[in-house]
Amino acid sequence: MTDIKKGPVSGSKSAAHVTIADRRQFLIGSAGLLGAATLGMGTGLSVRRARAQSRAEISFASAAFFGKETFGDLIKAFNESQDRVLVKNIELPPPSSSTEVYQGLVQQLARRTGTPDVFSQDVIWIAGFAAAGWALPLDEYFPADKRSAYFTGTLNACTYGGKLTALPWFMDSGMFYYRKDVLDKHGGKVPDNWADMATIAAAAQKAGDVDFGYLWQGKQAEVLVCDAVEIITSNNGAILAPDGKSSQINQKAAVEAIQFLHDTIAKTKISPQDVLSWDEEPSRQPFTSGKAMFMRNWSYVYPIAQDAKASQVVDKVGVAPLPSFPGGKSAACLGGYQLGVNANSKQREAAIELLTWLSSTETQHRIALNFGLAPTRPALFQDEQIKKEQPFMASLEKVFTGATARPITPEYAKVTLALQSGISKALVSGNVQAEMDALSDQINKIVG
Amino acid sequence: MSAAATVPGIGRPRLGKALPSALWALLLLTPAFVSLASVSFYPIVNGLYLSLTNTSLITQENEFSGFANYVQLWGDAQFWNAWWHTMWFTAASTILETVIGLGMALILCEAFKGRGLVRAAMLVPWAMPTVVTSKMFGWLFDGQNGIINYILLHAGLIDQNINWYGSPDTAMTTIIIADVWKTTPFMALLLLTGLQTVPNSLIEAARMDGAKGWITFWYIRLPLLMPTLLIAGLFRALDAFRVFDLVYVLTGGGPADSTETLSTLSYKVLFSTLQFGYGSAVSTAMFVTEGIIALVFCLYLIRQIRRAQ
Repeated sequence: MTDIKKGPVSGSKSAAHVTIADRRQFLIGSAGLLGAATLGMGTGLSVRRARAQSRAEISFASAAFFGKETFGDLIKAFNESQDRVLVKNIELPPPSSSTEVYQGLVQQLARRTGTPDVFSQDVIWIAGFAAAGWALPLDEYFPADKRSAYFTGTLNACTYGGKLTALPWFMDSGMFYYRKDVLDKHGGKVPDNWADMATIAAAAQKAGDVDFGYLWQGKQAEVLVCDAVEIITSNNGAILAPDGKSSQINQKAAVEAIQFLHDTIAKTKISPQDVLSWDEEPSRQPFTSGKAMFMRNWSYVYPIAQDAKASQVVDKVGVAPLPSFPGGKSAACLGGYQLGVNANSKQREAAIELLTWLSSTETQHRIALNFGLAPTRPALFQDEQIKKEQPFMASLEKVFTGATARPITPEYAKVTLALQSGISKALVSGNVQAEMDALSDQINKIVG
Repeated sequence: MSAAATVPGIGRPRLGKALPSALWALLLLTPAFVSLASVSFYPIVNGLYLSLTNTSLITQENEFSGFANYVQLWGDAQFWNAWWHTMWFTAASTILETVIGLGMALILCEAFKGRGLVRAAMLVPWAMPTVVTSKMFGWLFDGQNGIINYILLHAGLIDQNINWYGSPDTAMTTIIIADVWKTTPFMALLLLTGLQTVPNSLIEAARMDGAKGWITFWYIRLPLLMPTLLIAGLFRALDAFRVFDLVYVLTGGGPADSTETLSTLSYKVLFSTLQFGYGSAVSTAMFVTEGIIALVFCLYLIRQIRRAQ
């Protein structure tokens, strides 16, 4: 009972306390409102609102990349460049949390509400989104003559079931890093086949020039699949048959390729056993501290290698396409984000307009300069400004020409888990044929 | 409430008279029940139901499929591989942590200078976020620059660097070591509280009868500590069974699936492949296994208590 008596007393006290501050705040607030209202009337707010209503409103969702600007700035620039479409930017987590980005996109697309109208997607999700019927086929908007301006490998990755379901945006791929200074001591010629690479690497290691001949990524993770795609394709092999309905990973070409990776640890000993637990960063560190001769990695390594604060090999690093087997062609695993339109979008024309603008030469040029993300249009690699400001990127055209997609199947998420486990087993045990046979059965069950 | 119960009818609000007392109690319990049911009971039941469907976000299927998921699970080598690893991890880490933790508790039970400080400092590993512990052990056991390799190499115990996380023979052991380092202090603390409940008079009486330290421990302290030991062991085993962070950060389940546990497997199935049906079946299987572990511990505990009486 006493409690109830106390309550209101203390309450009114505290109320009295705030009144002055409160009133002041109210005055400031109302003054601001008044000002805004007069300003609004004066500058023709009503006119602007009318125009906004006639604009088609759509949304754009993407993993958050950033450089000198963000994708939000990019969308703002689009909104200001025309008055037909108004785009709302939905920011997803950064690309380093790609599993979360994937979940976020799937949850929105599965609702079939038409939001987001336009989205960006990692190359490995394209087939899944297309098979689920979430991605609008773009063939009628981008006929063959418009497509020839893009890299073939990227276009292949954007195609599912004979239909273009994504539009190339920006890309990355696996590449071959080498130490120029050490290579000069051992012939000076960048090896273009795996056997030569192994010989030079072993020689450099024996001569004591480096601790490790060749570094790659063998951790049971997505990157292992990338390394495998590259080496298997460079032997004219494949993980899946062209129709995506059966496995080819236990065929001779693929088995030879995986055997080569195992041999780098067990036989030629040009790679430390540690690569089996290394993904990108652990393998990058020994290379930029000058302990390794060759390395397979993505394009992000180059700026680090040229940074005197983080690297002991400044100006000593070169980049080339990865080697291949006799009779095969160099292959680079394709990465990067591509654009898609939601099949349930209610503003299709507006969505296509945004898509076209984002993937246009001008915007890709801007993304290359401001984000450091490489264009999917080969012509841009000849651009003078890009050559000047991003000289390394400009030199990658040859590498990107060999860009190869990872297996294109709507069941990719399951296939990659099987691949990671199966290839890891083969590399650890050395029973490559047996493990590949078992893996092949497993993949056939998933895609068959 | 207790005051109202002892002096019925006085000071009770009017509403109470209108309601039978049993109903009144139920009414008061409702908020707690609803909140518990919505965050705990509903997810469990929904998980069980999902495990009986073929729900997948990718294929957009969402139909009842009976026990198809469990049949698939029974024949899934990946699942059994993860199951055995999880059991091994649980057994090894729980036993090691209990034994070492008991030793630590016995030391901390003795009076010595700076005991308070040592007790507080001991808890530091346990208070650290597991991800931090994982990164730390990643560096300690690094195959190239790790201090463990450096020490072993210079002590002449190994003749070349061991790649702790890259070899299926050592990866799981290393993760167990990390877990033991992190959680033993917690065990020690639980056991210490148990030891402090052992009456000093019993120990003094034993000493008067001429019992040495070991005898006192074996016949007086340990039997009296047994219930605490079992409950602490149960806590630890259930906690160890759902190991995730260490594996996820250090090895991702590799190499060659040698560190795949049920938590990491179900995470991959649920959130990478988005098969909510099958993933829920994996989680349910985990839940059932944990239930069996808890049951074994409880039966043993009951037997202990009965024997003591």
